[in-house]
Amino acid sequence: MTTIESATAITADLPREKTRIIPKRWWAHLFLLAACFIIGLPLFYAMLVATQTNSQVFNYQFTPGDSLAYNWNIVMNQNKLGNYMVNSVFVAVMVTIGKTVLSLLAGLAFIYFRFPGKWILFFFVLLTLMMPTEILVIALFRFVNALGMGNTYQALIIPFIASATGAFLFRQHFANIPAEFSEAAQLDGATPLQFLYKVLVPMSWNTIGALAVIQFVYVWNMYLWPVLIMQGPEKQVVQVGLRTLIGGDIAVSYGPMMLGAVIATIPPLIVFIALQKQFMSGFALTRDK
Amino acid sequence: MKGRFSLLMVVLALMLALTAVVPAFAQDPIEIPVWIAFTDDSRLGWAQDKAAEFNAAFPQYNVTITGYPNYEEIFTSTALAAEQGSLPAIVQWNEVSTQIARDSGYYKAIEEALGGRTEVNGVPFNLDDIVASVAAYYTLDGQFSSMPWNASSSIMFSNMTYLDAAGLDTPPATWADMDAACAAIMALDNAPQYCWTWPNHGWFFEQWLAQQDGLYANNGNGRDDRATEVEFGGDAGLAIFNFLEDQYNKGYLYYSGARDGDSWATVDQAFGAQEVAMAIYSSSDTTYYTNMGVDNGFEVVASFMPYNQEVGWTGNLIGGASLWLVNGLPVEEEDGALTFLAWFTNTENAADWHKRTGYIPLRNSSVELLTSEGWFEENPNQTVAFDQLNTSTVTPATAGALVGPINAIRGQITAAIDTLLLSDTASADVMAGLVAEANAQIEEYNLLNQ
Amino acid sequence: MDPIIPILVVALSALAGAGLLALIFRQSARTMTVAALTGAMAGAAGGLLFMLPLNFCTFEAERSSLDFSFGIVLIVLGVLIAVLLVRWLLSALFSGRQLFSSEHTPGAFKHGWLAYFFLAPTIVILLLFLYYPAIDTFGLSTQLVKLGIPRTAFVCVSNFTSLVGDPKYLQAVGVTILMSVAIVVFSLGIALTIAMVAYLPVKGARIYRTFLIWPYAISPVVAGIIFLLIFNPLAGIFNHFYQAVFGVAIPWLNNPAYAPWAVIIASVWKSLGFNILFYIAGLQNVPGDLVEAAAIDGANAWKRFWSVVFPMLSPITFFLIITNTTYAVFETFGTIDTLTSGGPLGSTTTLMYRIYDVGFTNRDLGKAAAQSIVLFILVIGFTLLQFRTTAKRVTYGA
Repeated sequence: MTTIESATAITADLPREKTRIIPKRWWAHLFLLAACFIIGLPLFYAMLVATQTNSQVFNYQFTPGDSLAYNWNIVMNQNKLGNYMVNSVFVAVMVTIGKTVLSLLAGLAFIYFRFPGKWILFFFVLLTLMMPTEILVIALFRFVNALGMGNTYQALIIPFIASATGAFLFRQHFANIPAEFSEAAQLDGATPLQFLYKVLVPMSWNTIGALAVIQFVYVWNMYLWPVLIMQGPEKQVVQVGLRTLIGGDIAVSYGPMMLGAVIATIPPLIVFIALQKQFMSGFALTRDK
Repeated sequence: MKGRFSLLMVVLALMLALTAVVPAFAQDPIEIPVWIAFTDDSRLGWAQDKAAEFNAAFPQYNVTITGYPNYEEIFTSTALAAEQGSLPAIVQWNEVSTQIARDSGYYKAIEEALGGRTEVNGVPFNLDDIVASVAAYYTLDGQFSSMPWNASSSIMFSNMTYLDAAGLDTPPATWADMDAACAAIMALDNAPQYCWTWPNHGWFFEQWLAQQDGLYANNGNGRDDRATEVEFGGDAGLAIFNFLEDQYNKGYLYYSGARDGDSWATVDQAFGAQEVAMAIYSSSDTTYYTNMGVDNGFEVVASFMPYNQEVGWTGNLIGGASLWLVNGLPVEEEDGALTFLAWFTNTENAADWHKRTGYIPLRNSSVELLTSEGWFEENPNQTVAFDQLNTSTVTPATAGALVGPINAIRGQITAAIDTLLLSDTASADVMAGLVAEANAQIEEYNLLNQ
Repeated sequence: MDPIIPILVVALSALAGAGLLALIFRQSARTMTVAALTGAMAGAAGGLLFMLPLNFCTFEAERSSLDFSFGIVLIVLGVLIAVLLVRWLLSALFSGRQLFSSEHTPGAFKHGWLAYFFLAPTIVILLLFLYYPAIDTFGLSTQLVKLGIPRTAFVCVSNFTSLVGDPKYLQAVGVTILMSVAIVVFSLGIALTIAMVAYLPVKGARIYRTFLIWPYAISPVVAGIIFLLIFNPLAGIFNHFYQAVFGVAIPWLNNPAYAPWAVIIASVWKSLGFNILFYIAGLQNVPGDLVEAAAIDGANAWKRFWSVVFPMLSPITFFLIITNTTYAVFETFGTIDTLTSGGPLGSTTTLMYRIYDVGFTNRDLGKAAAQSIVLFILVIGFTLLQFRTTAKRVTYGA
């Protein structure tokens, strides 16, 4: 994710797609249909197996089985995937909101203020792009536990709500907004926060949406950190919760495993599809206006 | 951020104030938090039901049971809780964590806490009733250290459809029998993909070693004095390696590539799908395996774990976990915890636990109870693990090894077996590498625990 | 340890620092003197950068010669870091650039101090949860620290030097490189091919695009789980068909030659959506007729694609190489943990998976911290290399 803002910078200023005549291209349709089909195949198969018993899977049955309700019971009632899902939604929403707010504030500070040490602080934030959390997990694990935050939602949220990527994305975006807007706002007597809320935010929905998709999916997919820092199932996230369906001491079968995998994919898919327009335009296709 | 922290502080202060006020109401029951390493209905659910029963019978206590997904996580949680001084009253650790439990200082030996009492709050605490192999494992320095709860042994499950077709009335008993049986089974017209499989988990290596009366580590398997190096690199260990390699090369042995905790499920799948005729497994899932046959229309027979006929069979060792009493509890809480431990593992509960799961009945009195109920006659598979342990000779080898970093060494053993089966490296070389790695682990562990 | 050693280290580092900087700023006598003086100070500080926290332990008699050499490398490294930092500061100073005051800010609000307030949450969290653990990782890497054992022991640099010649570690380096290269090459190659067509303004293009890029929402863990089913040695659907056609099965998960490819295929599938998305975006900024010509123009197409279209996509490609490499190094962890758990024969144990294995399966936090630092340096090195080699050839603008 570290160089996303540079890609935005690269593509944002380029001309928009030109309208062209649309000739009949049956081969393009054929190719795209085939591509969509192949890309979708693993998921289709997972959905099929989600309805089957193990013996149906082992017999390569290609029609839906009758075991969906049974599998659902194993996934939701025995393995309590719903509880994991709720935890993941909570954590992902909190991080997404927190990160958006902090990034907006940081962007505001870097573009609309003049203060000593700006360059140092900017560098300080910039440097963290080079420090992936994954590399720090050992020390972070000890530190977060020493704070007494082990096995709490805070451990999954607080370390992740500050983001260099977000700060730069908004800094980049604000830098492209003409200075007249803030001058006018100041003439009207607006405070910086009012300016942010009333002027900048409405002009930044695409960037906010793009960041939200990226962050939601990132937090939703987080795995190593919750594996380490969370113990016990109550507050655990869904990616780790899926592990209880794969094995360990309790024998499981493929139907529930696939059902769990499919269910766990639904929330990020919803967010992605709902914010698809913002995601695409916020990142690459057009500039926010 | 600041706002959130100060809010947190306020909440914390309020909670502290509350806990200071609460003891004023002296009638409130004494809290006895218990951590166990199960999350499933049949085991966590059972324990929680029993706790509720206990709380009703002993209103002066309130036992609450928290489930953790596996032994690794409960270990980590305990270590972290100890750092913060927030240990519960009772913790379940797996059998091989016994040495680290002893070194950690977190726990107090049950026998020490009892101080010669034979009952607590009217509940008899009879340790002599515990079956010998289990008692041997958890007796350290002549003292009963922790309360055994879930104990199992490794046994074999056979799909009788294949065995009958191959003309075998009973499952093979030795490695040589196994080899012969596989030759017959794989020659069948409707032969399974493979003859047998097992989870590549360090426990099975330990079992095969104990069968041959082979020591795992020096100093009497770590029971006379702290172990300083492993001893499994000798003939007994190599024999296991050679047996596995031979079976794999002949195409009899199915190895999924999954190791340690991941390996169990792959065996379940292979056996359930009838892709193998036999599976060496833990007796803890006897109920599940027996039912797997019922559900899929084949008969499952449990039998002793096959042994090396060249050396003969000394005995098998236990697996599973025990309940540890946390050190430094207030006297009333400690007595409450002891009361719960005594009650939780009494004759009836131990028998019920066995029926529910397939873990062996811990008490001789439970065995008598189950026998008189006719349980074993109805469920012949359920006696196998118990019989196997009960007919074992207790030696330092079959009592089980006490080695601090044995959890890590288990991973090294399964990695070595992985290398053995999947590469051309000679078994002696694999073993030499394994021994060096394991000894390094022990050396580092001992450096920090002198 | 000989008590003369600290003095010797400081003196030699100072000398080296002074010499290096004097050499760099040799244009005029004045700058040269200033450079030499600051260089001496920087050199001394650089030499102590690692040695002081280590308490010069690499020079102790009982350490191996490898430890000793590693200590020398650390001193040289410390001096170089200090010299580069000072060189950069000095050249800014000599050229009269203002380092610490802020640049011209059009439309700035009054009360600049408010900015500190807005930045405070970000800075505090980065400080606590990124900078502090980063520094602590260095401290941990010199210790024998085992999870669950309160006592620790100082082991100097042996957590690092024991990696040299450790076949399992070297294997993990190889696996990481193989996976990164394969994931980048295949994912970008396939994504670009699909994007070339998906970019065309055919009917229903929007729907096609949604159906092409949705795997972005799949998690590495879910990708692992789904391919665990597809590549299962007993019931895998892939081998069911493959065997029907070719008569043999591919041992995807229990053969070290194929297992890395199982992870690669699952990862390519998962990352394809993201790459297609960015390539479509990139292509839309390339003049349309050029792409179309490349797509349909028969014999010339291939040549025209490489000479005209591809260079215009180089900024996007560069960006995707970095993100996909990061993905391959770090995020594949979830796929590996569910699909192969690093096996068989360690053939899917990447450096990241190894850190987890050492740190949490073996509970050896000190060694894992040391390996984290090595991985960190490798990743930084790769990124810089990418910048140096690729950035020059990147074509910006349309």
